[in-house]
Amino acid sequence: MLETRSIVRRFGRTLALDRVDFRARPGEIHALIGENGAGKSTLVNILAGRLRADAGEVLLDGARLPAGSAARHPRRARIAAVYQSPMLFERMTWEENLALGGYRAGASPRELDAVAVRARTAAAQAGFALPPPRAIVADCSVAARVRLEIVRALSFDPRVLMLDEPTSLLAPAELEIFLAALRRLRAAGRIVVIVTHKLAEALAVADRITVMRRGRVVAELPAAHASAAELARMMIGALPEELRMPPPAGAETPAAAPALTLERATLARDGRRLLDEISLAVRPGEIVGVAGVDGNGQAELVELLAGIVRLDAGRVTPVPDAAHGAVAVIPQNRDRDGLVLEMTLWENLLLAAPVRARFIRRGLIRGRAAQSFCASLLDRFGIRAAAGPAASAAALSGGNRQRFAVARALAAAPRVIVAHDLCRGLDLAAAARVHRRIRDFAAAGGAVLLISTDLDELLECCGRLFVIARGRLIETAAADRDPARLGLLMAGAGA
Amino acid sequence: MNALIRAARRPAAASVIALGAVALALAALGASPLAVAADLAAGACGNWIAFTDTLARATPLVFCGLAVAIAFHGALWNIGADGQLVVGALAAGALGPALSGWPHAPAIVAMLAAGAIGGALWGGLAGWLRARRNVNEVISTIMLNFIAAQLLSWAVHGPLMAPAGGFPASRKIAAAARLHLYFPPSRLNLAMAFAVVLACACQLGLFRTVAGFQLRALGRNRRASAFFGAPIARLTVGAMALSGALAGLGGAVQISAITHRLYETISPGWGYEAIAVALIARLSPLGVVPAALLFGALDNGSQAMQRADGISPELVYVVQALAILVLLACDAAAGGGWREMFYRGAPASAEEGDDA
Amino acid sequence: MLEAFAASTVAMATPILLAALGELLVERAGVINIGIEGAMLTGAFAAIAAAHAGGGALAAVAAAVAAAVAINALFALVVVNLAANQVVAGTAIDLLALGVTGVLYQRIFGATGRAFTVAPMPPIALGPLARIPLIGPALFDQSALVYLAFALVPAIAWTLGRGRFGLRLRAAGERPEAADALGLGVYRLRWIALLIAGALSGLGGAYLSLAYANTFVEGITAGRGYVALAVVIVGRWNAWGVAAAALMFGAAMALQFVLQVSAGALPYQLFLALPYLLTVVVLAFVGGQAAAPAALGEPYVRG
Repeated sequence: MLETRSIVRRFGRTLALDRVDFRARPGEIHALIGENGAGKSTLVNILAGRLRADAGEVLLDGARLPAGSAARHPRRARIAAVYQSPMLFERMTWEENLALGGYRAGASPRELDAVAVRARTAAAQAGFALPPPRAIVADCSVAARVRLEIVRALSFDPRVLMLDEPTSLLAPAELEIFLAALRRLRAAGRIVVIVTHKLAEALAVADRITVMRRGRVVAELPAAHASAAELARMMIGALPEELRMPPPAGAETPAAAPALTLERATLARDGRRLLDEISLAVRPGEIVGVAGVDGNGQAELVELLAGIVRLDAGRVTPVPDAAHGAVAVIPQNRDRDGLVLEMTLWENLLLAAPVRARFIRRGLIRGRAAQSFCASLLDRFGIRAAAGPAASAAALSGGNRQRFAVARALAAAPRVIVAHDLCRGLDLAAAARVHRRIRDFAAAGGAVLLISTDLDELLECCGRLFVIARGRLIETAAADRDPARLGLLMAGAGA
Repeated sequence: MNALIRAARRPAAASVIALGAVALALAALGASPLAVAADLAAGACGNWIAFTDTLARATPLVFCGLAVAIAFHGALWNIGADGQLVVGALAAGALGPALSGWPHAPAIVAMLAAGAIGGALWGGLAGWLRARRNVNEVISTIMLNFIAAQLLSWAVHGPLMAPAGGFPASRKIAAAARLHLYFPPSRLNLAMAFAVVLACACQLGLFRTVAGFQLRALGRNRRASAFFGAPIARLTVGAMALSGALAGLGGAVQISAITHRLYETISPGWGYEAIAVALIARLSPLGVVPAALLFGALDNGSQAMQRADGISPELVYVVQALAILVLLACDAAAGGGWREMFYRGAPASAEEGDDA
Repeated sequence: MLEAFAASTVAMATPILLAALGELLVERAGVINIGIEGAMLTGAFAAIAAAHAGGGALAAVAAAVAAAVAINALFALVVVNLAANQVVAGTAIDLLALGVTGVLYQRIFGATGRAFTVAPMPPIALGPLARIPLIGPALFDQSALVYLAFALVPAIAWTLGRGRFGLRLRAAGERPEAADALGLGVYRLRWIALLIAGALSGLGGAYLSLAYANTFVEGITAGRGYVALAVVIVGRWNAWGVAAAALMFGAAMALQFVLQVSAGALPYQLFLALPYLLTVVVLAFVGGQAAAPAALGEPYVRG
């Protein structure tokens, strides 16, 4: 049995885990559910030894685990984890990746062949296929990478296998295979912990469910006794009435000329088409959605619209140029692409050229005016920063960083907003507020392109909806507007 | 003022610790640290001449320190201020003799322009290689230092060599091109004042102009800068050229005010010392001035120290190196300051708790 | 003449190769060590100081290795454990080495720098192989350090390409947080790489002072450590490539001796500048760092 006793962990002044008692038994699939920010990942990181708890202890089969032992000696600790962001070595072959795991091998052809044999056995037990010999990980599909990560975790022969939001990376069809694999692992007597914020998944696969909210365990119950509505209430409490949305405007298209047009836009790298003749038009007043599993060209599409990469063929109107400011981009990885963590918030605000232009007089930046504008923006969007506009972006929590990125995009008053994972790291109430802002923007004549893996979000917000799979974009019909049908398209059925 | 004291506290502590460590090392070598320190202090500012020499000695350090600070703000690791200073000096020294008959002010401007252009070309070349050919600027600037040294050597042995004299040096620059020395034999001149004005300009440029803002953002997050449409190639070449121009100016004023001609060893390694200067100043252009004075004083005093105690002036390098390392260590231990400035990746914050 | 050029090429390439092989390991582990020049300088000085103190060739080499390992340990402490900026720390290490060797040199040998020379390390001729025309003297009549340097090439190539240690090093340089999650111990791996590199830089420095110059002069390394950094890039982070690049730079340096004699019209400074010019030009063409380890130069803090 895996057990934690009164785990406490703080980040600065935030209490991420507040005396958490968690229990998972052998031969069970245990779902740990909660909203973004509830403390799930922190708990997983402590169990996996990547983070130290400030207080409390972790026990495996009654024995106390020294802090950090799982990360230092994953083989001895017998706790393996698959993380939300894939942890593979992209430029190595998949065999090398596995040799670095529990198989503890070198990289000679003989050793790698032996690794492959053992890996295929382990994968077969889980019902997986593995890539062809010596395939480089960077060339593998996202689903294949998730499989590799699971096989690598299994190579440690773990007693406990933890999976942190793996399904955000998998299309529904792949998800089925994956869930079946989890059931087999359970049958083998392992403790499987799956972390998710998606209720349906938890109910579909788990035997027991632990619900977390704001750093605390609020319930632990058998899945058989739980209903989705009850779990949702435990996870988030009631959603305030004013945040409930009217249903989306449907699929009718406004008549105005498009604010953003892509015509057969194609982007190739090393002979592979990352974007394959993408055509798309977004009109003022419209929220257009792009659904898809990560890694199917979304990142390239966003880079293209930000003006970082150039097309190999086709055309985008207006010509992407972030310095010009007609299109505001909210990137998926805000810390890497959207913020300068070491600079202050008001300086981060000035990264957006249209905002900056308002605070320049005689070639000099008016810092005071920019700071007071920034302060009003923080206030309006409910962004909590202890030091106000002079706080460094690094001092903000993830949710506040995301809200800041949205606020900045809106402050730039663009004609088009391109948002990739608009609500990353936001809890449901905060996400609902952000959705409302974006809808208001569209209602005032703005055009929005919403790129997301979250079908619920897209179905709720978007008029027209596209699916992207392997760099190709398919427009969906009204009949496709349900998660199951979209799932098939995302897996590439329509391509 | 309080903020200033706070900002200066850790660099000052690092310098003191470094000096202390060196004192211990001296004791271990059998020299008396106190006597050495006294000789050093006397050499640095024991009398009027020593004091003005310290100023003169610190002047090129201010120019080069500014050069390094500007480039480092953009995460452009310009280790080549020395080469840029040499090329600037070379340009000014080559032009200088031809300025006879010019009025004083235009001649000085011409000297400075030559130095700035020479340095800008040398630095800009490394910037271009970085922006267009993706050549690591650390390596290219170091290589350009060696090339500049050979270029200078060739010039003073060859085309620019003064006809008479057994010593390889260029002809003297025209009298009009020489910066006035007040109170000779002291070497007090206007160059230090010019350097301070430049420091103020750099401060303004970095923190108030759009280009300076974009350069600082570029240095801290290149990808985000690209996402927001910063002209990365232009900033890279521009910052490196400006950096080179500042160092080149240092070379030109050295020729104009102090040496009046080119020698093979025009720079005793100012460009390298400038890295320590800029870092101790925490890349603040205004901070460069006191940091350069500190190291200029050490440099100047070390000559007297060598005469009196037989300790090699290279001891100053040890102090500088230790100051940098101690400052890095202090910042790492405190988990702020530089770490935040130079450290890429998610700094410790509430991030995980909130995103969990 | 050609024979002398070939022998000289190998001799000039050796210290660069030794340092570059160490830097190769370090960079594959994700660290860029500008301090390599300082480590070589320290090694060169320590070797001469040990010889001056009466040590034999072996003691001198051992002193060089120990001193360079010590200075790399300092560097490792700052950039690995304290996660400081690697370029800044490396520059400080160079400055430190310059200062320490300068001060100690004057302390030991006096301010006037009375030249202290050592007997050159004897070449070891490998029997009949040394008598092969052209390549014999170049390859088979050299000092032990030369043989060691070139023997290390296949060894390091094997380790990096196929060995377990090399695989782990690559993991640390590719994605340190993932390597740590697998329990590989990134700090430890980087420390080991830096200590090995220290030993190799020390050997390179010892070769310069003991076998090549037979004395120590200030700045004896003359940027060879930096050239080694370039050699790793030009060699595409691969031991065989590094060996080829080191030989190319060795040839550029050896060219000085040939051309200074035969091409009297050209200024000798051009030949002195040639290796550095070559570095810049080659990098401009090889340019791109696509083959560089993904996490190269990024400070990494263990979670």
